[in-house]
Amino acid sequence: MAERNKRKNLHPLEVSRLRDEQVKVVTGCQDQIQHWKKVQSDYEALQQRLSTLPNKLSYDIMVPFGPLAFMPGKLVHTNEVTVLLGDNWFAKCSAKQASNLVEHRKKHVKNALDDLYKVVKNFEARVGFTEDLEKLSSEKGDFVDIIEEVENEEILTKGKQRTAHKPYSRPKNQDVFDTNFEGGEGDPKATSGILPEEELWARLDELEMQEELLDQKDRMSYSADTNGDDTTSSSSEEEKEHPSGNLPCLHGEEGWPPVTQEDSRLITCQVNGNGQHHSDDEDDEGSCVPTIYFTHTVEPKRVRINTGRNTTLKFSERKEEAKRKRKNSNGNGHSVPGLTKIKTPADLYRLFVDVVNGELVPRKSILKSRSREDSMCSDTSESSDDRRGFCRNLSHDESTHSDTSEGVLQEEENSPSKPLPLPGVFEAFSGTVVEKDPTLPSLIPHLTIVSPALPTIPERKAEEVVLQVQKEPCKRMSKFKAARMQQQI
Amino acid sequence: MADIIQKKLQTEVEKYQQIQKDLSKSMSARQKLEAQLTENNIVKEELDLLDSQNLVYKLIGPVLVKQDLEEAKGTVGKRLEYINGEMTHRHTEVLAGLQQEYQKSQGKVPVKV
Repeated sequence: MAERNKRKNLHPLEVSRLRDEQVKVVTGCQDQIQHWKKVQSDYEALQQRLSTLPNKLSYDIMVPFGPLAFMPGKLVHTNEVTVLLGDNWFAKCSAKQASNLVEHRKKHVKNALDDLYKVVKNFEARVGFTEDLEKLSSEKGDFVDIIEEVENEEILTKGKQRTAHKPYSRPKNQDVFDTNFEGGEGDPKATSGILPEEELWARLDELEMQEELLDQKDRMSYSADTNGDDTTSSSSEEEKEHPSGNLPCLHGEEGWPPVTQEDSRLITCQVNGNGQHHSDDEDDEGSCVPTIYFTHTVEPKRVRINTGRNTTLKFSERKEEAKRKRKNSNGNGHSVPGLTKIKTPADLYRLFVDVVNGELVPRKSILKSRSREDSMCSDTSESSDDRRGFCRNLSHDESTHSDTSEGVLQEEENSPSKPLPLPGVFEAFSGTVVEKDPTLPSLIPHLTIVSPALPTIPERKAEEVVLQVQKEPCKRMSKFKAARMQQQI
Repeated sequence: MADIIQKKLQTEVEKYQQIQKDLSKSMSARQKLEAQLTENNIVKEELDLLDSQNLVYKLIGPVLVKQDLEEAKGTVGKRLEYINGEMTHRHTEVLAGLQQEYQKSQGKVPVKV
């Protein structure tokens, strides 16, 4: 409580006084700058005069006699100048030497001016900050003070607690833990007690076992790759993730306990604006800032997944979509991206699929154009739907294999998805060269003309060999070669 | 009871004010010395710019007394050293001590209040 009071001591009076002082400093500096600038201009005028003075032997001038009279007179010894060096020291020197002395003094003036400029800049910045502070304290601006109250200090922390901080620092996940023991409601209150320690530990163990079970389930179904390091915090999360519907703000679907578990490992803050605007209540304390009191709650990880054409789905959507797809096509081995375990970069390709007509089609690489039907490049020609799947197949690497094959097969052959063999050893060339016969509209693909820049993926070759009968060629070769081939055949 | 506290407060406040005065005196003396220091530095530099042909005078009262350039340089140098000595010996300790006491009494007075 005392802390809260302390925090509310942004009295507008004090802040305005601070601002006044700073403004005073700034104006003082400005005055000094003016003064030094004047001095500088004086010195420059003097230098001018000194430079022209020795031009004539003597000048006719009006000599001032006292404050009110002038006398005509002459200025003689035009080259002899007595210079005040400071501290009651004088020196008689020529005009040129005097000019050098003046130059030397101007340097000092310049330094002083530079320092003053720096000070002014600093203080102007400070004034800006104090103004912000003033606005903050007077509630004029859009500032909102967000305060999180933590009652209990003896809460489990993530990892080891450093001894130096032990007495006074707050462990990081204290808040999460706090919220969990409030009956697991979606809107945890800030100030509730916790179970005694032994019960806590017992609960921890219990939840850890649950977690392991769920983990195993996950492994079957492509759990997301989150680290299970924070066992302490996980306890709190697991309590959250209980499909007892304690997370109204999360999707507490039954099908997704593994998901929620994985996701809820990440703790995100949530501002519970609803119950806890204390700002109105606190006016008597002299608080000038609307405050929001909040506590940590656990939210599922929001995975944004690119699902083609620059759309990103939030995690929930994705799950539902995948769920739907699962219902639709059991053969579709493509699992929810959020759950897929990404072990290789290739796995990423599995996640990035387009949804075409309700089917999952692997995404085409942006490096490859879609419309170059007659290109020499083996991988880029797509003209017809028949070919499209195949050619898309070509453009993906082996990891998309299962998906592409499914998509392709479903499109073209209506055969059940074949678990195509993933050869353990990847050869650059499977040993079979199938060439296209331009005269016959055969569907034999050929692999000869492949630009060196494009990797020839053995997976693809295997598939081509397997499916050669059913596929159309998607690249052409030169007429002459074709003719030659024909002759050979 | 209240009287005793009142008296104590009075003495503390007086002490505090005294320290404040001392501090401000030292501060102003220090500032003067610093001004003289910079001035003498400039004079020294300018004397270095001159050659022996120039005549150097010193203003003693209403009289400009001729001085030797080398002599003048020496005199100015000595004055500089004197100023520096004054600054370091007399004032740093005193200042530091005074500042400490100042802060201490600052702390004490609001507590008493």
